[in-house]
Amino acid sequence: MSNHNDFEKTSPWGLFLQQLIVPALAVVTALVLGAIIMWATGNDPLVAYRGLLDGAFLKKRALSETLVATTPYIFLGLAVAFGFKCGLFNIGAEGQFYIGQLAAVWVGYNVHGLPAILHLTLALGAAIVAGAIWSGIPGYLRAKLGSHEVINTIMMNYIAIYLADYLVGLSGPMRDPASSAPQTPAVDASAQLPRLSELPALMASPVTRFTAALLVAVFAFIVVRWWWQQRGNSLRGWRNPWVVGLISAGGLGLITYVFLSSLNRIGGPFTDRADRLHLGFFLAILVAVLVWWILEKTTLGFEVRTVGASPEAAEYAGISIVRNFVLAMAISGGLAGLAGGVEVLGLERNVKSFFSAGYGFDSIAVALLANNNPLGIIPAGFLFGALRNGADLMELRAGVSKQIILVVQALVLMFIAAPVIIRKLYRIRAIREEGVQLTRGWG
Amino acid sequence: MTKPPALEARGITKAFPGVLANDHVDLRLAQGEIHALLGENGAGKTTLMNILYGLYQQDEGQVFIGGQEVDIHSPNEAIAHGIGMVHQHFMLIPVMTVAENIMLGVEPRTARSRWLGFIGQLDYRRVESRVRELSSQHSLEVDPTALVQTLSVGAQQRVEIMKALYRQARILILDEPTAVLTPQESEELFQIMRSLAERGTSIIFITHKLKEVFAVADRITVMRNGQVVGSTTPEQATEQQLASMMVGREVLLRLSKAPAHPKEAVLSLENLSVNDDRGQKAVREVTLRVRAGEILGIAGVQGNGQTELVEALTGLRPIALGQVRIGEKTLKETSPRQIMEQGVGHIPEDRQKRGLVLRYSVEDNLVLCTYYQRPFAKGLIIQHEAIEENARRLIEEFDIRTPSARTPAGTLSGGNQQKVIVARELSRPIKLLIAAQPTRGLDVGSIEFLHRRLIEQRDAGYAVLLVSAELDEILALSDRIAVMYKGEIIDTLPAEQATREEIGLLMAGVGGHKTSPARQPVEVN
Repeated sequence: MSNHNDFEKTSPWGLFLQQLIVPALAVVTALVLGAIIMWATGNDPLVAYRGLLDGAFLKKRALSETLVATTPYIFLGLAVAFGFKCGLFNIGAEGQFYIGQLAAVWVGYNVHGLPAILHLTLALGAAIVAGAIWSGIPGYLRAKLGSHEVINTIMMNYIAIYLADYLVGLSGPMRDPASSAPQTPAVDASAQLPRLSELPALMASPVTRFTAALLVAVFAFIVVRWWWQQRGNSLRGWRNPWVVGLISAGGLGLITYVFLSSLNRIGGPFTDRADRLHLGFFLAILVAVLVWWILEKTTLGFEVRTVGASPEAAEYAGISIVRNFVLAMAISGGLAGLAGGVEVLGLERNVKSFFSAGYGFDSIAVALLANNNPLGIIPAGFLFGALRNGADLMELRAGVSKQIILVVQALVLMFIAAPVIIRKLYRIRAIREEGVQLTRGWG
Repeated sequence: MTKPPALEARGITKAFPGVLANDHVDLRLAQGEIHALLGENGAGKTTLMNILYGLYQQDEGQVFIGGQEVDIHSPNEAIAHGIGMVHQHFMLIPVMTVAENIMLGVEPRTARSRWLGFIGQLDYRRVESRVRELSSQHSLEVDPTALVQTLSVGAQQRVEIMKALYRQARILILDEPTAVLTPQESEELFQIMRSLAERGTSIIFITHKLKEVFAVADRITVMRNGQVVGSTTPEQATEQQLASMMVGREVLLRLSKAPAHPKEAVLSLENLSVNDDRGQKAVREVTLRVRAGEILGIAGVQGNGQTELVEALTGLRPIALGQVRIGEKTLKETSPRQIMEQGVGHIPEDRQKRGLVLRYSVEDNLVLCTYYQRPFAKGLIIQHEAIEENARRLIEEFDIRTPSARTPAGTLSGGNQQKVIVARELSRPIKLLIAAQPTRGLDVGSIEFLHRRLIEQRDAGYAVLLVSAELDEILALSDRIAVMYKGEIIDTLPAEQATREEIGLLMAGVGGHKTSPARQPVEVN
């Protein structure tokens, strides 16, 4: 019958590599074109890229700083991708990021006397809820009234940005009266998401270390048991998922305990007071895996993806489009809000006026580069983090404007958006995949 | 053998990645001949026509027109060689008049405009008089000043033919022209074709309906899997022979079917009215009953409210007035899922848009309606193994030809896509099956499979509501036939009393106990 047997021939691993080819070549081609532009404008691209490399990875603390910048990219990229999976274009990640920051900082400096773990959870939770509400409004308007989410999320961006300016600004209610600068008070220590350099002090007591190791063990048990069952390995004897889960949990718990006990001896980011890498990065990776799991392995994800892939078929199958539009937008905004919470509680510890960093808009590019694959967002976010972080040193060393990095980013995006260019250039055959339609017209 | 053939193709070969669409195809079209090109979907008919019309280039082989070898690189060149094509989906602009549509691309200017250079005035009068001339020559009734959107489908088709004639086509390619017509309109088309052929136009007539071939063709060429399997004449061939040539094996053209033993009513409609997207009444006070163990066929030309009726019954469209009962339960503001869970299966009219998520794998499409139920999900978590197991079973049982269960449904052939939907719907616990245009665009083999399946379901005690624009399908399967015209059921007849002619007339709104003179078919000519 059909002659398209490619699916049989290609292993999942091969398919995975095939999916990587176009983005990877897009990045390489964009860097080469960027070099040509630099050379044409009288700069030395080699010096510039050496600077970029040093600034992003090699210099002292450069890698940490790259990961610091990667963190919001991952969260926000996941936010945008989740919307895309449902066929929704959430341009409002920037605004939801702001709102998440404001909510987290408010809980961080207004609530006192809670144990750290509770206070931190509460502050992050507030960020998620605030982001979810901020995006849920356009989601609801789209689902119920059909007004396009692109317009409404853009409008919500303006509201968020100017609301933040007012709240934090010179006469704003959230401004710290003790400071001369327009900024909020710093969050309590109990609401801080620890930096790696703060870990040795926090983990000084064996009881804390044990609790942390226990948490890791429980988590590992749940994940490994589930994974083992999914793989459908023989369930008898020691291969029983319970047994495998327990062994892994014990092992990982032990490793965690030993690791936490020897932080001072490991040194590096754990002892460098100026190193700003915080636990948010690791949380971002966990959340990326969680989002992947939700999308691929739960009925909720199936519904979201079905609505995104074919609203007509979803309706036919009894999947509520209204419900999924609102839900997907809320989850998307929740992730963006969480990005804001993590940024405040882990890195900044307060919110300053005009704190815009443009992460929310870049993250649309991150999601596209990753083809909305939650796991692909990790490397895509890393790339953007590295470019952002290395740009300063590149400018300093080679005298090229760091805006050239924006040109490179734009070229990457262009090649991703028009993969035909890359395919023609390198003569790669197209593969069929479960892509996502980005927009479906206006209203 | 005096005159060279109007068109001859020799050894046409065209390969697409992984598919040999045309494999050394020969075709001889004599002057003034109606040549039927018969074959299932995917047999290579359309590829061959697209090569002749300049949309594709052949890899090998030659094309001769009037004995001269020609290279056709674009539709414009094809037109210049006197080839005209009428596509299955009309290429007309509804808001323009017939004359405007006909002259599109070859607009004549008034003599005065030559002085103005390229900004000329359009010479409507010349087009209109030429159209009238062609009209009377070929007995093609077309009013050049009418807006296309006010024309019936049959009249639009005449405009398409006129378009080709206006461009002086001597060879006309008609791609599945009867798919959108009532039996009476088809008969009219055949008359036009005969009259064109008598005046020397040569016609290639693409179809998969055997009856039509016998009605109109002078010569028949059958294609299968990209090859010509034979060429014959209607006098020499039988339907049975042609069908086996198309499919490559024996097929049952007429299904034997035992008398129905209907039991209690499963679906009852009481004065049901439904609005279309623009808020106009599309279904008017329909009262119907479908009983367990019978097939009720709703006949009618497309666009007479069948789509809206089915959508209302499946929860996809709100009910404006009236009552729908499934079993004992009355539907009221019910969601599609609640209706499904009442035991209603639905083979939707648009299988690519509604029936399947084309990007999803076959196995995911097979649980599209049940993914949230055990064993496919426990709580929130999808049980992949159960979904795989389900796919293995259904692919086997329904003979779905797919490279694997993970192949995207969109890459399957139409017949296999429909099998995926049927398998999914019949694997759920249902008591009523609503099948809307279930064999549209399918090949003979798949149609046979589906028809057999529907009768099996009936015999197993299911209630089946069949909505189809194919009169033969309705006649072959139904136990009772309801005819829908302009949103109303204008008559319901027992199948054994219904004749083709009677139903054809009812489909055109003539006769029936509910028809009034005001509802005669309106056709603007």
